[in-house]
Amino acid sequence: MGEKTDVWQGTLALMVLRTLETMGPQHGYGLARRIEQTSGDLLQLNYGTLYPALLKLEQEGYIRSNWGTSENNRKAKFYELTKAGQRQVRKAAAEWEQTTQILSKFLTEGA
Amino acid sequence: MRRLRALWIRLAGLLRRRQANEDFSAEIEAHLALDIDDGVRSGLCEREARRQALIKLGGVEQARQAYRERSGLPWAESLARDLRYSVRTLAKRKGVTAIAVLSIGLGIGANATIFAIVNRFVLRPAPVGDPSTLLSLSTITKGDRCCNHFPLPVYEDVRDQARSFSSMAAYYELIPASIGGRGEPERVWGQGVTTNFFDVIELPMALGRGFASGEVTAPLIVLSEKVWKSHFGADPQIVGRPILISGRTFTVVGIAPAAFHSVDQILDTRFWVPLGVTRQLVANLPADDARDYHWLSVVGRVRPGVTRKEVQAELQTIADRLSRSYPATDKDITFPFDQAGSLPKREKGPVLIFLSALSTVALLVLAIAGANVANLLYAQAVTRQREIAVRLALGATRARLRKQLLLESLLLALGGGLLGVSLSIGATRGLAAFRVPAPIPIDLAVSADWHVLLFSFVLSVICGFALGIGPAWAASRPMLINALKGEDALARSGRRWTMRDILVVGQMAMSVVLLSVTILFLRSLQTAAQIDIGFRSQGLLMLSVDPRLNGYSAEQTSRFLAQLRQRAAALPGVDATVCTDVPLLSGGNRSDGFTVAGHTEKSAAFTYADLYMVTPGYFEALGTSLLAGRGFRGEVAGGPRTAVVNKAFAERLFGNGNPIGQHVNGGHWTYEIIGVVGNAKSRTLGEDARPILYRSLDQSIVDDPSEMGYTLVVHTARNPALLAEPLRRQVFALDPAMAVYNEETMDEHIRAAYFLPRVAATLFGVFGGIGLVLAAVGLYGVMSYGVSRRTREIGIRMAMGAPQGTVERLVVRQGMILASIAVALGWPAAWMLSRVSSSFLYGIQPHDPVTFAAVPLLLTAIALAACWIPARRAASINPTEALRAE
Repeated sequence: MGEKTDVWQGTLALMVLRTLETMGPQHGYGLARRIEQTSGDLLQLNYGTLYPALLKLEQEGYIRSNWGTSENNRKAKFYELTKAGQRQVRKAAAEWEQTTQILSKFLTEGA
Repeated sequence: MRRLRALWIRLAGLLRRRQANEDFSAEIEAHLALDIDDGVRSGLCEREARRQALIKLGGVEQARQAYRERSGLPWAESLARDLRYSVRTLAKRKGVTAIAVLSIGLGIGANATIFAIVNRFVLRPAPVGDPSTLLSLSTITKGDRCCNHFPLPVYEDVRDQARSFSSMAAYYELIPASIGGRGEPERVWGQGVTTNFFDVIELPMALGRGFASGEVTAPLIVLSEKVWKSHFGADPQIVGRPILISGRTFTVVGIAPAAFHSVDQILDTRFWVPLGVTRQLVANLPADDARDYHWLSVVGRVRPGVTRKEVQAELQTIADRLSRSYPATDKDITFPFDQAGSLPKREKGPVLIFLSALSTVALLVLAIAGANVANLLYAQAVTRQREIAVRLALGATRARLRKQLLLESLLLALGGGLLGVSLSIGATRGLAAFRVPAPIPIDLAVSADWHVLLFSFVLSVICGFALGIGPAWAASRPMLINALKGEDALARSGRRWTMRDILVVGQMAMSVVLLSVTILFLRSLQTAAQIDIGFRSQGLLMLSVDPRLNGYSAEQTSRFLAQLRQRAAALPGVDATVCTDVPLLSGGNRSDGFTVAGHTEKSAAFTYADLYMVTPGYFEALGTSLLAGRGFRGEVAGGPRTAVVNKAFAERLFGNGNPIGQHVNGGHWTYEIIGVVGNAKSRTLGEDARPILYRSLDQSIVDDPSEMGYTLVVHTARNPALLAEPLRRQVFALDPAMAVYNEETMDEHIRAAYFLPRVAATLFGVFGGIGLVLAAVGLYGVMSYGVSRRTREIGIRMAMGAPQGTVERLVVRQGMILASIAVALGWPAAWMLSRVSSSFLYGIQPHDPVTFAAVPLLLTAIALAACWIPARRAASINPTEALRAE
């Protein structure tokens, strides 16, 4: 796996955390749909890649999971943000914002 | 932190692999169901909805793989697989594995043993609280050698003035005493300490307490755990009980832990009493204000944050001040110091040289063993090339193969390490069997502790990598075409010297060095055995008593010894009974400077001489030849002092003149020389003839009693060991409370004097033997491998008419070329290195011609034997079969 994927995984993790923050507990499918919708369908997400990313976040203690029942009565694993996860969203969001600001400055001034 | 947590969970995940897989399946299933539900709701038929959902989901197997890798630790799993595979491979090749483990085990065992010794004497800190801040101090006064004890006033001055130390304590090193309790009375040694001693060294007591500041002259005692167990049955109620020490009553206040024998870690002392009561147990202690009598050892606890440099600077300032204030006694005094418990300065040099020589030899053994195993692994690489070619062809990467091969050698090395540790535990036990010739109680016990374990483990790992990396590299790069054709795939064309040849040459060169040192020390032991010690060793039995400890006055002691001689002489078979203070060859005794009486000028002849007290008949009993004059006869306590000197003494003071009737001054007395006897070894076997002055026991016992007690020596024409029990009974008949100690025959006593040559010869002999056997096995292995590889070639030669003799010569010649190169390399190295050993050799030079002539011959002979067997095998090859073998 190259650097590209790392950046991608990093952003995916932030998207997941942010989505959980706004929507509350959510199952994998819901998360995937929501991320796609939020991105205005600009993002072509391979739903399968979401699950290893969720596992990683859970191992790192940012989210926790529980089996539950969905609104249409299906068994599903629900993910929810932990305290550490909430802190991480704020931290990562701030960092990301700063990065995009710097980059956009470069791009506009360069023009 | 987050990563650590994740790693931990993943590590745990290794154990529940199936669970992770099921989790993932269930989750994907739920995902699909939800997606299909959505699809159906938006109007698709169920099949189409499933199709769409699967497309959006992407590669399930890739995701599953990613999930699995994330939930466990892939590298740990592959390591576990490699480990299983390696263990299986090693178990399959039992012979090779056994030889490799044995070789490495011997090498590591040798190193672990030496490390245990180094650890004990050089690395181990004293068993006190925070050893790094506890310093032991000594004094050097003008013209003296390092390092002397402290006079009491000097200790008090330093203690009061030195600000670098938070506290300081002094102690008198060795108090002889007899101790009662259960069983026969025993003579033991203790120390007299200032009351703050146990606080300064921060020693936690096993039971009870140390001394309090008001107890300077209180008859209190701290016992060692050893004595507590041996004499008082480990009585838990002992604190507060009175016990008898040399007939005086002391109250037990504490038990010192078993690990603590003394601050210096060498003396094996058993009790501690306050310094103020030491005078009751030791005769002749100086007055408290004597500034010229050095008798106290001093330890100081450095204040936190004070550096050694600051300590040194301050002690120097104090020394200068004392030097000015007390020019008569303290002129140019200095206070050298060292971490408490480190080797005594005086002995440090030779001990370190001896230990580094041993370490070098042990490393050589390991290197030879390692070369052997590396060679074996190279041979393995050749026989396994098919397996490896197949694995490569099936897609294994070379890196993965190397990793696995390295793991195998690592496992071998760890196995060897395990064996080595058990060998070294045995070896350190064996070392304990050597008795050290010393009249004082010393503890040189070496044992393997966790430091030794750690050392062996690290050494094993290094070993595993070092000797495995070459063969693993070679094995992972077979020439595939050759391998699949069934030919040797590791032999590269155009190379005359293979790695294996180089290894064998190196190995044999190292054994040349090892063998030289070994033979040197064996020769040294042999010549040491021929040293003329100057007295006879057969038929003599000795035992010691110290009546003074039981409250006897000098006259009473003298009478007791006379009665004991009388009773002993009456025993059947005894034909001579004499007394002395300390037997010869006990490692050292009192000595004094002597001049010819009446010659006080600076240029007058002067000699140091060892002093021994003897009774009439001593020289006849010990078989020391009388060269001139007469021996002692019935000298009386108050009469003019007489002395018998040895030849070396007479030569030093009188040259060729006649010493009989002359007077000499020494100590505080003048002696008339009445006889001259032959030289005898006084302290050690290796010494040059040392001047000795024998004086009359009955004349000296009053003014100058022996601290070491007195030894009865009896001679018999029968087995002297049988006299031990009757003699002991005679002692107890005179006084049942008298402790008997140092009971041994002169033969045993002298065997202990051979301590150094015997230890050296044993250690080097064992190491040299191991190294030689390993090198021979290595050469044999290389030669027989060479023969098996050249089976076809030899077959062709023989088919073409080469006689058997030619074939044998062919093989032998090749081996001998390797051996000669090895000798040519190793011999000069041994020549240079042997010089280091000179101070440990007895009666031979480090460049001993016999040794250096014998080594190449011996090694050549062994090499010949190692080549001969494969050569015979080569010559017995049947040409038709050899050619058919494909």
